[in-house]
Amino acid sequence: MYRISTIEGNNRMSTQDLLQRINDALAAGETEFYVEASGQHDIGGPLWHPEDKPLKFVVKNPGQRVGSMCLPGTEIIVEGSAPADIGWLNAGGKIIVRGDGGDTTAHCAASGTIYVGGRVGTRSGSLMKHDPLYDPPEFWVLKNCGSFGFEFMGGGIAVVCGYDSEEFASVLGDRSCMGMVGGIVYFRGKASGISPKDVKIAALEEQDIAYLDGKMDDFLASINRPDLRRELNVWSEWKKVVPLSYDERPKKAAVDILSFRMNEWVPGSIFGDVCTDDYAVKGLVNTDTYRLRVPAWENARYAAPCEFNCTASIPSQQRFNLLREGKVEEAYRLVLEYTPFPGSVCGAVCPNLCMDECTRQEIDESAQIGALGTYSADMTLPKPEIRTGKKVAVIGGGVAGLTAAWQLVRQGHDVTVYEGDDVMGGKLEQAIPRSRLPHDTLEKELKRVQDMGVVFKTGYKVDRDKFNTLRANNDAVLVATGAHVSRVIPWPGHERLVKGLDFLKAINRGERVPVGKRVIVIGCGNSGMDTAVGAYQMGAEQVTCIDVQQPAAFAKEIAHVEELGGVLLWPVATKEITAAGIVTDKGELIPGDTVIISIGDTPDLGFLPADTLLERGHLRPDAQYRIAEGVYTAGDTIKPGRLVDAIGAAREAALAVNAYLTGAAYEAVQKAKIPAEKLTKAYFKKCHTCDLPQAGEDYTRCISCGTCRDCQMCLKSCPETAITRMVHEDGHFEYVTNEKKCIGCGICAGVCPCGIWTLYKNAEPINMYKTFTKAQ
Amino acid sequence: METVRTQDVSVNDLPWKIEYLPERCTMCGSCVATCTFNAIEAGMERRSITVSTAEGPEPTQRHLATPVIKQKNSVANHCVGCGMCEKICPNKAIKPVRNPDGRENLLARSTGKPIKRGGRNNLQQERTFDKIVIGRISQMTDPSLDSERHTFDILAPFGRVLPPNELPFSTQNGELHLNGQIPPVRWIYPIIFSDMSIGALSTRAWEAIAMATAYLNEKHHLPVRMCSGEGGMPVKLMESEYLQYMIIQIASGHFGWNRIIKAMPKMKVDPAGILIKIGQGAKPGDGGLLPAAKVAEHVQAIRGVPKADLLSPPNHQGLYSIEESVQKMHMSLNAAFKFRVPVAIKCAASATSVSVYNNLLRDPYRICGGFFLDGIQGGTGAANEISLDHTGHPVVSKVRECYQAAVKQGRQGQIPLWAGGGIGLTGDAAADAMKMICLGANGVFIGKILIQLCGCIGNEHGRCNSCSTGLCPTGICTQDPRLVKRLDIDKAAQNIVSYILALDSEMRKMMAPIGNSSLPVGRSDALVTTDRAIADKLAIQYTC
Repeated sequence: MYRISTIEGNNRMSTQDLLQRINDALAAGETEFYVEASGQHDIGGPLWHPEDKPLKFVVKNPGQRVGSMCLPGTEIIVEGSAPADIGWLNAGGKIIVRGDGGDTTAHCAASGTIYVGGRVGTRSGSLMKHDPLYDPPEFWVLKNCGSFGFEFMGGGIAVVCGYDSEEFASVLGDRSCMGMVGGIVYFRGKASGISPKDVKIAALEEQDIAYLDGKMDDFLASINRPDLRRELNVWSEWKKVVPLSYDERPKKAAVDILSFRMNEWVPGSIFGDVCTDDYAVKGLVNTDTYRLRVPAWENARYAAPCEFNCTASIPSQQRFNLLREGKVEEAYRLVLEYTPFPGSVCGAVCPNLCMDECTRQEIDESAQIGALGTYSADMTLPKPEIRTGKKVAVIGGGVAGLTAAWQLVRQGHDVTVYEGDDVMGGKLEQAIPRSRLPHDTLEKELKRVQDMGVVFKTGYKVDRDKFNTLRANNDAVLVATGAHVSRVIPWPGHERLVKGLDFLKAINRGERVPVGKRVIVIGCGNSGMDTAVGAYQMGAEQVTCIDVQQPAAFAKEIAHVEELGGVLLWPVATKEITAAGIVTDKGELIPGDTVIISIGDTPDLGFLPADTLLERGHLRPDAQYRIAEGVYTAGDTIKPGRLVDAIGAAREAALAVNAYLTGAAYEAVQKAKIPAEKLTKAYFKKCHTCDLPQAGEDYTRCISCGTCRDCQMCLKSCPETAITRMVHEDGHFEYVTNEKKCIGCGICAGVCPCGIWTLYKNAEPINMYKTFTKAQ
Repeated sequence: METVRTQDVSVNDLPWKIEYLPERCTMCGSCVATCTFNAIEAGMERRSITVSTAEGPEPTQRHLATPVIKQKNSVANHCVGCGMCEKICPNKAIKPVRNPDGRENLLARSTGKPIKRGGRNNLQQERTFDKIVIGRISQMTDPSLDSERHTFDILAPFGRVLPPNELPFSTQNGELHLNGQIPPVRWIYPIIFSDMSIGALSTRAWEAIAMATAYLNEKHHLPVRMCSGEGGMPVKLMESEYLQYMIIQIASGHFGWNRIIKAMPKMKVDPAGILIKIGQGAKPGDGGLLPAAKVAEHVQAIRGVPKADLLSPPNHQGLYSIEESVQKMHMSLNAAFKFRVPVAIKCAASATSVSVYNNLLRDPYRICGGFFLDGIQGGTGAANEISLDHTGHPVVSKVRECYQAAVKQGRQGQIPLWAGGGIGLTGDAAADAMKMICLGANGVFIGKILIQLCGCIGNEHGRCNSCSTGLCPTGICTQDPRLVKRLDIDKAAQNIVSYILALDSEMRKMMAPIGNSSLPVGRSDALVTTDRAIADKLAIQYTC
């Protein structure tokens, strides 16, 4: 037994001196120590005997950290109390404090045993750990602990017996076990403020009782209180604190908004008075009502460029669609709904405005629409089944009059055409060079009109009396006398002029019209070109065509004239016509033996009532083509135009007349050209010129702008299989969308070659909000 | 031959370009169906080419037409980069990509009118707070606090705080007596959910924020308050106990006050406070703006106006000076709630903010219960872009100057300073709040980050910012039922609650090293900066 006292007189031994003395004695073989300390730190460890003999310390009045880093084999008994950090980092020693322990007792202890016979201070047992190679550390306290005990405890066993602690609200102090992740804390009596986010409190189980029961006697004997065994032995008074397992720890804050909203929040909604909301959540893509957009299949809502540009509104895309379906006769008959002159006009003299903006031009070349007309020259339509008994007189047998007659007779009316000339056909017959219009084609088409039931009366020149008679004897009269008076400007020498229309008519009548070698034609329109060609036919050697502005004739007609050797001069203004030719306003002479004027023709309307409203010599009908009750007009009587213009206007006028006769309302159809961006040209393979098919097979190239070509691209591309093709009883088809499936993606619109599908903003109202107005 | 002209608008003129991988696309149509901006569409592409596969030149045509998704060449339908297409695409075939060469700024003015949008300033990317850290770490000398275990007092005053010597106390027979009324002060969490109006937000978004506010109070005992914004208040909320968590706003348009006043007799509790909005940091001088597209029936009802562009004047009609503002607006609103509810004022930060604050500090009626300063990086639901990007004032130094002005007079803390405008812009609202508090603010207010928590994908780099269009893809800033119903109200509220819970822990993490148990208002010694100019301007420690 090595005994040492640390006070000699008034001198206190330093910690360093005391510990060195102990070290020296240990080195000398000493194993038992009695230390009368005076607050020296770190007494009792880490020490070991060279021969591994056990070491025993009895200490009085130690300083902090008694038994710190204590090794197995060391036993320390403190008689009385000890200050902070008893058994700090205890690595295996047995430390018995018979009195109270200070703060942070057993702090970081990882092995061994610490028994305290009184109370311990704040943060005791904090950061205790258990090294799995060794037995867990044990830390027994007879009474209670200060606050913040067992913080961040990672292992080991702590036992707080709660003896003589009734005055305390909690034997574990306040806020114990914060951050505790391992080990176990047994306690007896009341405890509160234990960190709920880290640990749970549980009743003892069998093995817990077995441990406490087995160790209790040693503890009580060590602190000299075996008398308490009975009092501490009531296991129902004990509980244990164990850390939540990793899985038991909430990984996120417990927030339950749904329950709060359902049970505690303002019932329904704070906006319940102005808004109806079930709080159901819609995804980013929806069907039906909640689609952002909806597709619409709008067949023929838009006119194809060919149909739009044709003043007779012939839907050529429909002709090609019928050809594609193999309905050849139907295709060639269709045009007759719009014009009786597909061969003479469409296929011969028409400039074919239909082809000007054909979408196909942007790929290779326009579809061959004009030539398609020639296929229809021999077709006809069925005669009307019902006769109305209404009588219509058409005055004028040109394209306008005959077109109107053709339309009206097919409505079942009795139509008679009164033609002043000896032959029907108007300018087609009288003025168009036969080189441009084969006469047999015209005759066939005139006959078709007659065969339909139209009565032709030729050589019937209408004057005012005859007009009044016709008006009185018919239910309606249509004036289509055209324009046959050549315009002449009264230049000096104008009497020398030959009138262009008279010249052309004479040629077509087969007369030989004498012309000089040098011919001047004033006016470079299409008639001017016809006149120039006629002049060459009549033997002219040099034809000069002049105009005050850029020639208005079609390039094809100009080229024809130039091929024959003709020259076009412009701008040239005439000052005087002399025997030598024309003197221009600049005083120059254009030499010419014959001067023909071809600057347009005006109508001769002297047969109409004197009060008929005229403007610059032309009629001014209302929007119904009407100039008086029951009297209608169309064609060049209104304004000079192309043959196709007259055909289109005459068809409309005929519809107006029919409406009048049947008591219906007439309304002109407004055409809208399909926006180019709606069409999808990507489908169409470029066809090089050499590969162009015959016009009758050009349906392969026709895009069918604005009219469904029934290709089913939409149906087969729809990602939701929402599109079906419906066939109606009358045989026409329709593509329809199932709104229960459609998501409004617009792929149908994107893939449609013809621009039939349009994606609209979903306008279906959703009644979510409301504004209450004051009750009246 | 293509027929494009040089002045035609092309995709490359637009602010965002759609990057599309046709080989990954299955044409499911989801991207087009979800795009609220109608910026993309399906179409066909021609893959047609003349090739030769023989031993010599022997032309044959190879032709393919294939469906694709295309971006529209249209300024009106320009992509805003919201990324819903990318989100919905099952095959990662499509996404928006920011276009640095866009000419939107030029093209979008082709209407002859200024560009309008929502969101924040897109030009002021530099942030003072990113150059400041909490650098005074209490360790050896002042023990730091343990953020997990210490009891912190994270509360800020809303209301006029009287200094001790002005409190109307007297002693009689050794007992303390209170003589007369003292101004109401509410001690609340130093984060206020700032004013976004009914109308600017969808019903669901507004209610989500209100619900999150109530939840934080009821379930987590965090006294967070929400400000209504200038679009009135839901009547049913005013008639409920939850009104105690609401700060009601009055702004120059006075929208919604008819129903607020009519609800007064039915209020079971007082509101948390009243905020008089004089100006807004995001768009000073612009006034309120609610585009007609968002003026749905319920907005018309609550505000008492027809469907139209609703403009609040940039100034309060009938107020001509700070003195008058204090006399009239503060007095009327204090009086309306029987002097029981604190009334504060919100102004855009400005070169003249300190003068305004000084004037308020002299408030002889002791009825100004707070000075809210709103900085240039604040957000808005709709503004002229010119106002958003080119007007306003940074708030950090302005708050500091106001605080220092108060300190000079010994009046700091008497009229609480609240700061906002860009708080949480980088996602760390706690850090911004704590730095602002250390510089002298009592608390901060946040707005944009709340809707970002609800799901808003807008940002300060020109993404989306389409709050003014009514086409909000997340259902937050729109009144279109088709879009509003995209928003999960519970999830939105949940995200806000979770964020604030995290923020509360983060506040402690910063108070602990500073060593303050209560908010370190004015503890500028806790801040250091590596920027000399910032150090000089804010009077904080320069470090490098």
